Amino acid sequence: MSKATRYLNEEPFEPRDTVALSDAELRAIEASSWTGFWRRFARHRLAFVSGLFLLALYAMLPFVELLAPYPPDWRDSAKVYAPPQSIRLFHDGALHPPFVYGTAQSLNPETFAREFVEDRTQPQALRFFCTGSTYRFWELWEGSAHLVCPAKGASLHLLGTDRLGRDIFSRILYGARVSLTIGIIGVAISLVLGMALGGLAGYFGGWTDTVIQRLIELVRSLPELPLWMALSAALPVTWPPLTVYLGITIILGLLDWPSLARAVRARFMTLREEEFVLAAELMGASPARVIGRHMLPNFASHLIANATLAIPAMILGETALSFLGLGIREPMTSWGLMLDQARRIEAILFYPWILAPMVPVILTVLAFNFVGDGLRDAADPHQG
Amino acid sequence: MGWSRLSPAAAMALLWLCMTALGAGAQGALPDEPLRVTLAGKGREPGRPGGELRTILPRDKDIRLLSAWGYARLIGYDERLDLVPDIAARIEVEEGRIFTIHLRAGHRWSDGAPFTAEDFRYFWEDVANDPLLSPAGPPDLMLVAGKPPRFEVINETTIRYTWDAPNPGFLPALAQAREPYIYRPAHYLKAFHARYGDNAFIEEQVAAEKVSGWAALHNRRDSMFANDNPDLPTLQPWVVRNPMPAQRFTFERNPYFHRVDEKGQQLPYIDRILVDIADPSLIPAKTVAGETDLQARGLSLRDVTALKSGEASANYLTRLWPIAKGSQVALYPNLNANDPVWRSLMRDRRFRLALSLGIDRADINATLFFGLGTQGNNTAVMGSPLFDADRVSRNATFDPGKANALLDEMGLAARDASGFRLLPDGRTMELLIETAGESEEESDVLALIAQSWAGLGLKAILKPSERSVLRNRVYAGEAVMSAWSGFDNGMPAPGMPPLELAPLKQETFCWPKWGQYAATRGKSGEPVDLAPAQQLLDLFAEWEKAPDEAARARVWTRMLDLHADELFTIGTVMGVSQPVAVSKALRNVPEKAWYGWDPGAQFGIYRMDEFWLDRN
Repeated sequence: MSKATRYLNEEPFEPRDTVALSDAELRAIEASSWTGFWRRFARHRLAFVSGLFLLALYAMLPFVELLAPYPPDWRDSAKVYAPPQSIRLFHDGALHPPFVYGTAQSLNPETFAREFVEDRTQPQALRFFCTGSTYRFWELWEGSAHLVCPAKGASLHLLGTDRLGRDIFSRILYGARVSLTIGIIGVAISLVLGMALGGLAGYFGGWTDTVIQRLIELVRSLPELPLWMALSAALPVTWPPLTVYLGITIILGLLDWPSLARAVRARFMTLREEEFVLAAELMGASPARVIGRHMLPNFASHLIANATLAIPAMILGETALSFLGLGIREPMTSWGLMLDQARRIEAILFYPWILAPMVPVILTVLAFNFVGDGLRDAADPHQG
Repeated sequence: MGWSRLSPAAAMALLWLCMTALGAGAQGALPDEPLRVTLAGKGREPGRPGGELRTILPRDKDIRLLSAWGYARLIGYDERLDLVPDIAARIEVEEGRIFTIHLRAGHRWSDGAPFTAEDFRYFWEDVANDPLLSPAGPPDLMLVAGKPPRFEVINETTIRYTWDAPNPGFLPALAQAREPYIYRPAHYLKAFHARYGDNAFIEEQVAAEKVSGWAALHNRRDSMFANDNPDLPTLQPWVVRNPMPAQRFTFERNPYFHRVDEKGQQLPYIDRILVDIADPSLIPAKTVAGETDLQARGLSLRDVTALKSGEASANYLTRLWPIAKGSQVALYPNLNANDPVWRSLMRDRRFRLALSLGIDRADINATLFFGLGTQGNNTAVMGSPLFDADRVSRNATFDPGKANALLDEMGLAARDASGFRLLPDGRTMELLIETAGESEEESDVLALIAQSWAGLGLKAILKPSERSVLRNRVYAGEAVMSAWSGFDNGMPAPGMPPLELAPLKQETFCWPKWGQYAATRGKSGEPVDLAPAQQLLDLFAEWEKAPDEAARARVWTRMLDLHADELFTIGTVMGVSQPVAVSKALRNVPEKAWYGWDPGAQFGIYRMDEFWLDRN
């Protein structure tokens, strides 16, 4: 690069001094790209609702101990494969506070089916803001406060129980902690990698670009599921469940970055040719400043949309791995691990409620897809 | 295999087979003195020959089970666990040390070649005592105090083994599910033996099989139990017809089988057994869909609801046979653990007792086994002549108060911030229970145990690994506690050697190093240094010398009592049933039975050759 002499006006540049603008025009110009972005996003009704749904889900995660009626490892050996109990309001034709009917288990000696008989004489009123079974809040403090508890001596299994007599509803809530955070952490890892590598490729071009492009192609050419399986099978069995959880997130993150890197690179390629970038470069700004101050704000929204669309793939990845017995390990629980039981023939024949974790998986994945779509539309100013 | 590769001996045998098949037909293939079975006397009915029986196994390696199911042994157990001659016409025992085996004249291998004393001589002189084929020397059952017997061929059909001292384990060893095969088809195997075979042929075969030498080649051909060599002649009721690997194996009836029913029909009745290989998780579904005629493998008690529901549409019945294991899942505290702190705890009877009293067995039984099992120790199960109800429940009740008191008394009262006890050296009491990680049932049982032990202030962590890894960690003393099924022989009779009850084998996970010491005669492992374990060794020696059945029964009782008192292994639930799906067309399968490996050979003891198919 030649050392050209550059001239810089020391006076601050004030656009208002040169052109006369109306207030509305001024507001439109001064509004940051973010304001427009959010405005466009809020117009996308489905995405907005999905976003609220996801926010509520994530806001729930720290307080799972309070929301779940039972701790995840709580068991009742007299209620194995108990069917869901529904919450009722009418008993004998009269309005009652919310209650459930108790059930009694018996074994049919002919068919070996566990039969549950509802006792319809005795409504068992739910208790709210109550104390029930004890848990360790965040593994730190002992606690027994719950949002909702069964009547004293009664049970409350909104989604039934599993093969060991554990409450499926409570376990879905605890499982959400793993299943929902694994997507976020995994995407964070892949975002950092994708931005770094995609940014390098896009900004510098040339052989850096070539090398990174080939690397992306290589990673993308590997079949995803077998690779996940091989890597997670390589996690030592001696690892405690929490370390395994982190290992799985890292595996999912490490294999997901190429698509993000591609997107980042493409944005860099287009932005690099923009005049304001050229201007900044000509004024002697360092690459870090050009990227951080001038380019990043221009495609951050696009990046977020892309990342959001990557989260459901991660959630499904964790579910698939745990379903195959290669993911999260007991005593931790996740939606995928709970669905592991769905492989058993009697689950489908007799105890369909143990498939319940499928519902939150589907809802979350759909919600993330809607939000991602909304964000992508909002990030593209030419569309709205 | 091309004709050019066929050995002269095999070609001869084949020619011979053709000739006998043409000349004699299927009827003339019986020995002169066949084993006559009276089915009516056993509450069974003589059947109609023919038909194909379908069954499913999870891995192709499992077709070895057919060698157990066929259960043709020189001498074998009947349903009452008495030893009765089978392949052998008679076995005479003098002074407990001289065994004279009389074969059946005219008995032939499945390829039609005569089965004679030469087959025993070949095994003893050319296999068991060949330094290349048996580098470790003759098998254990042939040695008494390390000394081999004198072997004599009396005549074509009579052989004699003479030991210096009594060998009471000899006949029970011959009756095992996994037979030691003290005879081999000499006419077939000689072709691969350096001393007899054609060198050029052996070299050609060694090169073709890419093995290291003639001994490796011989070992590969000589796989009596594995059923992986369709050319190897056998005495079993069915002979494998296709080589591994395959998705379906065909076993065809042995036209020279030595048993015959009261109507003069040669057994087995069933012409062919078709074995399909399928993933174990699919076996319950395939059974419910009616894709098998006789199925136990791959089914467990938790499948019974599904099995019962499919009975009508798939035309089978579900039988429940109690499993003859000492305990469905048992814990093995490693008395030879390397960690000195844990080792001294494991060797303290109070600690083992506290662990046993801290298990809520009723909860395990109700949650996982429909409450149908028997809660208690790892010991002789109901149906065994040595069963004793008190011995099952002794020290095996749920008493967390007493368990905690015992632990406090041992000086383990200190606890950490989260309420777990501390070891004497200040570590948290974190007990790793290592498992092979093969069955969900086992991990469920252990999860429940871990939960009830939390009430003792003991943090139990499950560590599933893999069968061979687990074994090595236990043998090396790295595993402090392991989980496995209870005693294989939960259905003992006084005449069976109490091998699992004394430190004699490293495969018994509570004393791997003591067991290794005994098995290697002091070459490796560690000598026993715990009084009750030494007592068990002494009792075993007493069993070996016992003059009669009553004396043996007394030794067994004392050993079982010692186990119930000392809790070297910690049992959970016994007598859990094995579901067996039996096609409605399949006859002579007992309704009430028990399911065991040794003794039992699964279906073997019920004489599968007497089962027949009524397909009308």
